This record gives sequence, C-alpha cells and structure tokens, in this order.
Amino acid sequence: MKATDSYILRIEGLAKTYVQLRRFTRERYKVRAFENVNLSIPRGGTLAIVGESGAGKSSLARCLAMLEKPDEGEIRYEGSNIVRASRKDRFSLHRDIQYVFQEAMTAVNPRFNAVEVITEPLLLQRMGTKAEQRARALELMRQVGLSPDDAEKPALEFSGGQRQRLATARALAVQPKVLILDEALSNLDLPNQELILRILDDLQRRHALTYVHISHDLRAVSQFADEVAVMREGKIVEHKRTADLFAHPEHAYTRELLEAMPSVESILLQRSA
Amino acid sequence: MKYLVRRLIHAALLMIGVSFFSFALLQWAPGDFFDELRLNPQISKQTIEGLRVQYGLDQPLPERYGRWLRSVAKGDFGFSVAYGSPVGPIIGVRARNTLVLTGTAILAAWLFAIPMGMWAAIGRNGWADRICGVATSTMLTIPDLLLFLCLLLLAVRTGWFPAGGMMSPSAESSGFWAKAKDLAGHTFLPAFGLAVATLPILVRHVRAAMIDVLESPFMRAARGHGISRSRLLFRYALPVAANPLISLFGFSVATMLSASLLAEVVMSWPGLGPLLIEATLSRDISMVVPVVLLSAIFLVIGNLLSDLLLFATDPRIRVE
Amino acid sequence: MRRNHKLGIGLVMLGAIHVAVLFAGFFAPYGFATQNRELPFAPPTRIHFVDAAGKWHARPFVYALGADPANPEGYVTDRSVTCPVHFWVEGAPYKIAGVFASRRHLFGVEEPGRIFVMGTDAYGRDQFSRFLFGGQLSLLAGLLAAGLSVALGMVIGGVSGFYGGWIDEILMRGGELFLALPWLYLLFAVRAALPLHASQAQIFLLIVGVVGLIGWARPARLIRGVVLSAKERNWVVAARGFGASDMYLLRRHVLPEAYGVILTQGTLLIPQYILAEVTLTFLGLGVGEPMPSWGSLLSSLQQYYVLASYWWMFLPALLLVPIFLAFYLAADAVQEHLKSVTL
Repeated sequence: MKATDSYILRIEGLAKTYVQLRRFTRERYKVRAFENVNLSIPRGGTLAIVGESGAGKSSLARCLAMLEKPDEGEIRYEGSNIVRASRKDRFSLHRDIQYVFQEAMTAVNPRFNAVEVITEPLLLQRMGTKAEQRARALELMRQVGLSPDDAEKPALEFSGGQRQRLATARALAVQPKVLILDEALSNLDLPNQELILRILDDLQRRHALTYVHISHDLRAVSQFADEVAVMREGKIVEHKRTADLFAHPEHAYTRELLEAMPSVESILLQRSA
Repeated sequence: MKYLVRRLIHAALLMIGVSFFSFALLQWAPGDFFDELRLNPQISKQTIEGLRVQYGLDQPLPERYGRWLRSVAKGDFGFSVAYGSPVGPIIGVRARNTLVLTGTAILAAWLFAIPMGMWAAIGRNGWADRICGVATSTMLTIPDLLLFLCLLLLAVRTGWFPAGGMMSPSAESSGFWAKAKDLAGHTFLPAFGLAVATLPILVRHVRAAMIDVLESPFMRAARGHGISRSRLLFRYALPVAANPLISLFGFSVATMLSASLLAEVVMSWPGLGPLLIEATLSRDISMVVPVVLLSAIFLVIGNLLSDLLLFATDPRIRVE
Repeated sequence: MRRNHKLGIGLVMLGAIHVAVLFAGFFAPYGFATQNRELPFAPPTRIHFVDAAGKWHARPFVYALGADPANPEGYVTDRSVTCPVHFWVEGAPYKIAGVFASRRHLFGVEEPGRIFVMGTDAYGRDQFSRFLFGGQLSLLAGLLAAGLSVALGMVIGGVSGFYGGWIDEILMRGGELFLALPWLYLLFAVRAALPLHASQAQIFLLIVGVVGLIGWARPARLIRGVVLSAKERNWVVAARGFGASDMYLLRRHVLPEAYGVILTQGTLLIPQYILAEVTLTFLGLGVGEPMPSWGSLLSSLQQYYVLASYWWMFLPALLLVPIFLAFYLAADAVQEHLKSVTL
C-alpha cells in the first residue's frame, strides 16, 4: 500500500513566458514570468508565496489553479501531473483545486445574485440537486458571515469585502482540497481580513485543507503561514518554515524584505515625531 | 511610410474582395437579361441562345471573372446588353456627374459642420448648443426621401431653381460663364439636400470631438498660460480634434454616396444612381456590376484620401 | 423627469402607430385595392357641419364629387345631397392579421358620398386606407430586417470576439467588405441579382432578407467589442476554472453584457430599414401592386404633374416624420436608460 505523500502538491521545474506579438513588426516581446520553480506544498498546511509586484507570483498561482498553462515543468497533484491532464481529468481536478481572486469587485458577476454566485460551481460540476445546492449556498453564506436574507440580492449591492466573502464561499462550495488565494486579502480592510482568515483557519482545522497564499505583505503572512517562499524576478530565492525564515534569513533579498517591514514600534515612533 | 503602404495594400485587397463579391452575385442570379425576351412567345429559343452565346453569357463563372478582370485592366468595362454599347463611356460620364454632385455636397456639408460643431462645443450646454441640438435632431428625423421631394416641389412651384437635370438645353451653346452659372443653378438644390441629409451626424461628431479636446488637461494648461482664445481654438484644439474627424470624413463619403443615389433619381441628375436603377430594373448585370464596383472604388479612394490626410497632419501616425 | 417623458411619449406614439396599422382594416374606410375609376386624384374630402341651406347638423357630413364639365381634371362638389358620416359602420370585409374576419369600420359615409381623408391616387384609391395598409408592410419589413441584422450581428460578433484568432480576422475583414460599399448601392446590386418576378410574399421575404443581411457589419463590430472586454472579466475566468464550457460562458456571462448594445442597435436600425424598404419600393423594386407600401404611395410623385398639382400625394411622406420621431425618441430613451444602469 502506497503511503500517503505528506506533500499534496509537488512543483518541479515550472516555467512560463508571456509572448506579446507587436502588430505589423515581426518582433516578439518576451516576458519571463517565472522559471525553474521547485516547490513542495505540505498537506493540510499553509504556504505563503511572497514577493513584490511583477515577481511572477500571480502567474504561478494561476498555473497552479489550471487557469493558465506553464511552458515547462510539472505540477504533481496527488502524484499525477495536472499540466498534462486530459479534459475529463481537469474537470474533476477543478473540484479539488480552487482559486480566489484579488479583485473583489470583479471576482463575481454583479448581475448574479448571491445564491447564483455560490451555486455556479456546483451547477457546473453537477453536484447535488437544485435544492441541495441552494441549501449549501445558504450554509456557506452563514459560514462566511453573510446573512441568508441577502440570498436574492444581486452581487452589485454587496460591498467589496462582502463580495470577497462571496467569492470565498464560492470557492469553498465544491469542497476543494487546495485553495489558492491570490492576494485575496490585499484589498480588504483589516476587520474583513481577520474575519476571512478566521473562517479559513477554522475550515482548515476541520477539513485538513491546504492553502497557498500569494501576498506581498510579509508581515501579514507571518501571522498564519506555516511555510514561506520568497520570490524575486521569477525565481524562488528562499523557502523555509515561517519561524526559521524570520529568525535566520539566508538570502540577501529576504533580509531586505524583512528590514523593509516596519515594526509596530517604529510606526508608532514615526507618528509621534 | 510603412503606414501608407499598409493602407494602400489594404485598399487594394478590399477592391479585389469587392469585385469578387459583386461577381459572385452573378452566380446567384437565377435569371438574366433575356428572361424578359423568353416570355415573348414570338422570339424563338434559338435566337435567345444565340444572343447569349454572342454576349458570352454561357461561359462558366470563373472564366468570365478572369476575362472581365483582364479587360478591366485594359480599360474595357464590358458591354451592356441593355444599351447595346460598351459600358465604359456610359459609366464615365455618369461617374463624372456623380462626383460633381457629391463633391460639392461633401464640401458644403463639412464647411457648415465644422463651424457649427465648434460653436456648439464652445458654448456647450448653453443656448448655442441647445439650438444646434434641436436643429440636428430635426434634420435627422426628416427622411431623405421627403427632403428631396420637398426640394423638388420647391423648384417646381417657385421656379427659382430648375426642377432637376444637370444642364438646360439652352446652355449647351452658350459661353463658359453662362454654362457655369447654369450648372451651379442645377447643382444647388440636390447638393443642398445632400448636405442637409448628412450634416447632423457630422455636426454631432465635430461637437463631441471638440468637447473631448477642450476638456482635456493640456488645453486647461494652455489656457492657464494666457494664450488668446482664437489661437487656442485654431492652433491647439482643432489640430487634435482633426484626427477623429478625418476618419469620419471617410465614413461621410460612404453615406454621401448612398444618399446621392436617391437624390439623383428624384432630382433627375444624370449620375450613377439612375443608371443603377435602370440596370437593376432591366436585369442588365453587366451594367450593375461595374456601377457598384465604381461606387466602391470611390469609397475606398475617399478613405485612402482621409488616411493620407491623417498621415500628413497627425505626427503620431508618422512615428508609428 | 425629462428622461421618462421622452420614453413615454415615444412609446405612446409607437404604440398608437402600431395599433392603427395592425387594425388597418378597422380604421380604414376602404380596402387598399378598392378603385374608384371615376375619381382619380380627388382631393381630401372636406367635412362639413353646415349645409348649403345654412342648417347646422350635429353629425358631420360630406358632399359627393362629380366630374366638372368645364375642367376635365377637376371636380365639382354636389351640394344637393348630404352624406352623413357614420361611425362603427359595416363595410367591406377584412381580416385582422390574416386571421380574424370582421366587417366593422371606424367610420364611413352613405352613398353616393366618399370620404377620402388623404385624397385619392391615379386609380381613385383612397390614400388614407392605403397608408394604413401600407404601414403593415413597411413597419413589418423594417422590424423583421432589423431583427435579422441584429441576430446575425450577435452571432458573428459573438463568435468573432469570443474566439479571436483567424476566425476573428476573417469575419471582421468580411464585415469591412460590407461596410466598404455604400449600402444603397449594395442593396440594389443584391436586388438586381434576384428575380424580378416572384410572388408578393417571396418578394417581401427577399427584401427583408437583403436589407437585413447587408446590415450586420456594424452591430457585429459593436457586439464584438463588448464580448472582447466581457470575456476577460475575472468572473468569466473563475467560471472557466469551475469547468464551464464556451457555450455556457457565452450564454450566462458574456452575451448578457451585450443586451444593451443589441437593444440600442435594434431600435436605431428599425427606422433605417423602414426607410430602406420605402426607398426600394419608391424606386420600383419592392413588393408590387396592388399591395401598398409607403414607398409605392410616394412613387407617383416622381412625375412632375403629380408633384405640382396634387399636394395631398405628399402627405404620406410628411406622416413619416412623426413616425420616425417616435422611433428616435424611444431609441434615445433606451440608450439613456441603459447608460444609467451600466455597471
């Protein structure tokens, strides 16, 4: 009997380049998003990928969620390479790996009402009857702190923070095993951030979910991540358990990031000056 | 330079496409000019078939297209079955007449549209703008047909203008100035009608383009420098607003040509319009195709002209 | 609120016009083919309340027209017989929408009077009745053709914008071809290629088809634009991430964004296409006699003597103005309404 791998996702040698064709001149404008990425993501844990904008984190995240195709390398989910997955396999894989966007306002179709938003993946994945889907949607709404009375309200009438909660509920609807949050908290105010983090934490403990958080905020990430991977200009420069990274940063860039992080005391000092 | 070459190639490809398309129409024409003759029991089948062979109507389509292309290259536009004479000269005269009319009308339309649009834009949301808005809306609601019929009625009732046609018979033998005056008199009404028909859309676009420019940051900065109003308008705003308007010019040629067809028929102006109608009614495809092609050529040339104008006036295009 | 007024007025006018045209048989005192050979080019009948003796009648009446011995083209009014106007009369039979038969007319006059609200034409046919019946043809043609253009534009623009690549290139270049020709010339070219003699129904469908088919390019381009921006939205990417098929995405997320454009385009196209049909018929290429269309009512004006002497033949053209105004008001209001609810 094969022992269950303690790593749910193994990424090997992943690379992606974006090519832009300039019109009427035959030049191709190449942007290397990321290259030679090797990562192992522990089951039931939270990995944070940090770096500045343009470091390639989002492209990596989208490849993980099968929203884009990498040019080289493999992504092994439970042993099988999902980059090469057939259409049929990918369909069920979408159930296991879900993705939450950064932009709350455009994450959900404003014309859809709350129930339609959350039940859409259930509909597409053909999970449950109409009644069951609706029940699950209402349950999820409650879990993310939204009132079931708002079930028929169009998403247009929800605030940014609420829409992000809807998007999170939607991602959770199909009971995924891996959730990829692409700067999903960056545009939220602190109360909303904390609320969602609490909900995610609770769910992780109950269902052994694996999270991949993409962020540019090292400090915020330090609160909830088990491991941190630092990305710079398309390459992973350091990958350690959170405590180790903060205590013994090896790479110069990591040290730069840590130093750039203002500590709470220094902020207060600046303000009073 | 690359831009110009690109536009020329584009225009050429368009022409080829249009010519092929018009010729493809023949494929779907279930009958032809001789349908009418066929209905006449007195004319024998052999005569009709003989006529068809004589006019080359029995050949397969690609061959006819090829032959036709070759002859066009040589300047021969084919033979009109209805007129019984070569198409070229007939079309030539009519095309010239249409150009005279539409050229005058386009000039008139733009000559009025630019000041009106500018006036409305400068006084935006004020009384000038509102008057302009009402005027253009009114002109838009009046169908072209009604407009031309009214103008014709005006001519017939008042006798201030000749009621149609292009030249009075008496003018044939007069001197240059008399001829010119006569032509002007005949051209006035149809050109006026055409200009009014196309004016409202142009004014709206001029106004929109000017407002866009006037409200842009660089204009506000220029105003802050204390530059005089007229200088601001003509040396700063207008050149920038010219870009979308020059593109609009190409489009206005298209609408003008379409409108001119109706104008020519109603006002009896001997242009391509009445020719096309006749040819259509008599199923003279060998006349229909060149006329339509010619109208497309005018349109493409009009667009090419505006592309050239754009190239000459807008430095941004040259850099690209 | 001015906005609501515009929409209201436009819709009310449109409604009235369509009702009048749909129930043409009821509102028209005569059939569209009924000839009165002895009364060609009769002027509009005058309604009187006071007769020759100076007596006032509560019910309006008309006088019959007779030939004028002095003027072969004129008429004299016969004031000896008053012909009262009756309402809700029984007259010539007709069918509403080709299904419901009836003999009721809104108004009519007793013999030997005739009531020609808009005068008669060369064959003595009542222009008013022909105007109402003609509206059936012209309005329907405009509506159907606009629907066809918009539907075609939706399909082509949708496919072009959604799939991009070489399909997009080919379709848009094809559209350019259609836009490169002045549309009236194109219309005639295509009409020329089609048979001149066919049944009326066939010619009608032909006209609708031709007018509708040549006009797809502009709506297609606009719809393509909407589709291009809509398909990049995050919620579409998300739905794809749930395993949505292309058809689902188009149906549920992308095309609904285009409904606004489709509606405005449609309402703008209807009057244009009505005018196209009118122009075609005016120039002799439309549905033939005796079925009237607004164009055929006006075609006799091409002759000078008609234009100069019989002013009432102009009326159908004048009536087109408020009709188009109604369409434009409604279209304007629709456009403004959509702008205000765009997300």
